[in-house]
Amino acid sequence: MISLGGNPFYILEFGDELVYLSPYTVTLFLFALVFTLFAILSRPERQVDIAFGGDAYYAKETTLTEMRFRRFMAIACGLASMGAVVTGDIFNFTLFISLVGICNVGIVAAVKNQHVQEAAYQYGIVALSATVPLFGAAAIIAATTGTLSMIELWKDTTPAVTLVVRALLVLGVMGEGMAPFYAAKAEMFRAPGAPYVIMCSLSSLLIFLRVIEVVLVI
Amino acid sequence: MWPQYSIGLVLVLVAGIVAFVALVIEKDDLHRLLLLDLVEIPSLGIIALLGTDLAEALILPGLVVGIAELLALSQIYIQKEGLKDRGVKGLDIEVIQADAPLIISILLIVYGIILSGFTGGGIVGLGVVFYIMSRGHRERFELLEIAAGISWAVWIVAFFIFMFFPEYWLTAVFLAAVGILMKVATKMSLIGTMWGGHHD
Repeated sequence: MISLGGNPFYILEFGDELVYLSPYTVTLFLFALVFTLFAILSRPERQVDIAFGGDAYYAKETTLTEMRFRRFMAIACGLASMGAVVTGDIFNFTLFISLVGICNVGIVAAVKNQHVQEAAYQYGIVALSATVPLFGAAAIIAATTGTLSMIELWKDTTPAVTLVVRALLVLGVMGEGMAPFYAAKAEMFRAPGAPYVIMCSLSSLLIFLRVIEVVLVI
Repeated sequence: MWPQYSIGLVLVLVAGIVAFVALVIEKDDLHRLLLLDLVEIPSLGIIALLGTDLAEALILPGLVVGIAELLALSQIYIQKEGLKDRGVKGLDIEVIQADAPLIISILLIVYGIILSGFTGGGIVGLGVVFYIMSRGHRERFELLEIAAGISWAVWIVAFFIFMFFPEYWLTAVFLAAVGILMKVATKMSLIGTMWGGHHD
């Protein structure tokens, strides 16, 4: 069994749940873990507005409840990305990815600002419609090969997954991983969402890296 | 089985494409939200085409994810359109103002508990939603959260009984049935509380 990200050195099979650790997945997992710890430890950025026509400026305060919600969403997003990078079950993979999508909607929408809310709404529409190719691909894989376990799909005995289905899976992940685009559209990286908005970028990077492995090995 | 599966797949994909085209053409935000619900259904259809009990196990999480995103999106819509402070009163109909909702809800809840499991949970939830909708939103949000937490714990206990003490499977089945009844009921009643009012 030769896999793309190195041979798995630990496979946990617990009922339907399948988790495997290979050098590749462990690396991605540690990435997600470290950035989740950063999100737990860091404090929100204060946005500074400069009053036009004078030399006055004022700093916007982030209320405690808003800060708590944003931090919670960032941590949940980190946990969902950790799940998405280590799971070895195609359907769990798609579920974790849609969870990343929901958490990203939450991170973007936590900022009470008209432009940001608009961007969050548009992203939510994309993320929700992306679940169709995502779950569709997982269901068609189960129907054509009879298994959802990636360990089984590696073996030569199981029929190969057709290109269209792989394309559907990638399309779904692309839809869910669109968050940084919408966050950038609302200029969230400069101040309103920082530093928690970094979890948007990180989680979409991680799920893109992981889906490459998934698509190549199945 | 195979030709049937292919025909079903083609039908579902055509339905999906129609829904996506509608989504692209439609420009009004609220209508797009409603069309998204239509887009969700083909994805459930593709899973349902599996036609095994695995399909049933996969539809549940798919449905939950869809509903969760839909609820989150509607909350964002309420927020961004500034509808947050517009309170929603109960329906102003004489029959609804009397005790009819209470009686109908109790009937639905009792019937749902007799059915148990997922279907029963849906019916109990329907009863609660109906009651909340006809009585305005004086609901106790934290009570629903407590019930959801307990049902989750019951569900996990049943799971561990299945795993470690398989000889007591009947107990585990009953625990899981009660757990999912409460879980689905609370999840559905959450839909009834989404009025954008103050929850505390």
